[in-house]
Amino acid sequence: MSKQKPFPEYRRKLGPGWWLHNSHFTQYMIREWTSFFVAVFSLIYIYELSLFASGAKDSALALMRNPGIIAFNVLALLFTLYHAFTWFYLIGKVQPIKMGKTTSKPWQALLVNIVLLLIIFYAVIQILVLR
Amino acid sequence: MSQDIATIRVTRYRPEKDGKPYFQDYKVPYRKDMVVLDALNYIKANLDGTLTYRWSCRMGVCGSCGANVDGVPKLTCASFLHEFKGRTIKVEPLTHFPVIKDLVVNMDDFMHKLVEIKPWIIREKESLPEEGEYRQSAEELERYDQFSSCINCMLCYSACPVYGLNEKFLGPAATALAYRYIEDSRDEGKDVRFPIVHELEGVWECTLVGECSVVCPKGVDPMLAIQKTKILGATNALKSLLMPRGGK
Repeated sequence: MSKQKPFPEYRRKLGPGWWLHNSHFTQYMIREWTSFFVAVFSLIYIYELSLFASGAKDSALALMRNPGIIAFNVLALLFTLYHAFTWFYLIGKVQPIKMGKTTSKPWQALLVNIVLLLIIFYAVIQILVLR
Repeated sequence: MSQDIATIRVTRYRPEKDGKPYFQDYKVPYRKDMVVLDALNYIKANLDGTLTYRWSCRMGVCGSCGANVDGVPKLTCASFLHEFKGRTIKVEPLTHFPVIKDLVVNMDDFMHKLVEIKPWIIREKESLPEEGEYRQSAEELERYDQFSSCINCMLCYSACPVYGLNEKFLGPAATALAYRYIEDSRDEGKDVRFPIVHELEGVWECTLVGECSVVCPKGVDPMLAIQKTKILGATNALKSLLMPRGGK
């Protein structure tokens, strides 16, 4: 018996704008982009440290005071905070804690982590800056 | 009394004729209790008998009637027409799967993945029926209960961009089912399933988009199952590194 050739199936591919049609996907992509800002910030920071280490303190300070660098740092901070807050929320989703008959909610994990983050900020500033 | 009319815009793809899919509009009269699947059945019975789609139970149990309704993966039997009042309702085949005809997609990849994770209780030694059932406490049942509600409707795969970009990814439903058995106190197949869920395209491919859990019509949280499986895998790897002889 001859085997009938199957009709072609139609295959669709994700287009480059797939994340624009759903707000959850857009939020997810912004979270992914935060890594770019963190990476660039780290590279600038390493370069500034290398200037300090080689004795070019004035050049390092001039770079740090550059308005473009300051603007980028503010942007990087905003993206990093966005990453941190969305990640804190996700921690609550993927690692809910059972407390008696109730289970913790994601916003509770977000709140606890923000408080912990503020405590760590305060401790670091106290120890490294204001000592 | 005037009857409301819904405009249903359905993807048509007839592989013997069409090079690619196109949309076709149908006007369907509806009542408040009618769902998208009822509209498709109305079209098939009264307007166009060639429209092809899957369905069976009509009550959100069989998982056959999944489609993208207004861009969101949904069971057509659970999407009420009145919720879209005044708008054209777009009904498309589930994304990320090859389209066979109209709204019917090829499920082979998903079926292979389901079998791959061995969705049954594995025992090192089966006990005889006379020895009684494998007993389980309510707490033990609670550990995996929600993951056993999966109806294999594939909506989670349609919602997952990671699967859309890499079809080798084991995906949400198969992992949730694997986790369901890994967490089942009667099961002894962890060593068999772990290499499957932790391989390159297993759980580690998931980047926590989370849309799988949003679209699940049965309240299953595949994202949670995937992350829990990651934690179990990482803990096991750490244990075997620190205690190569199993802590003996």
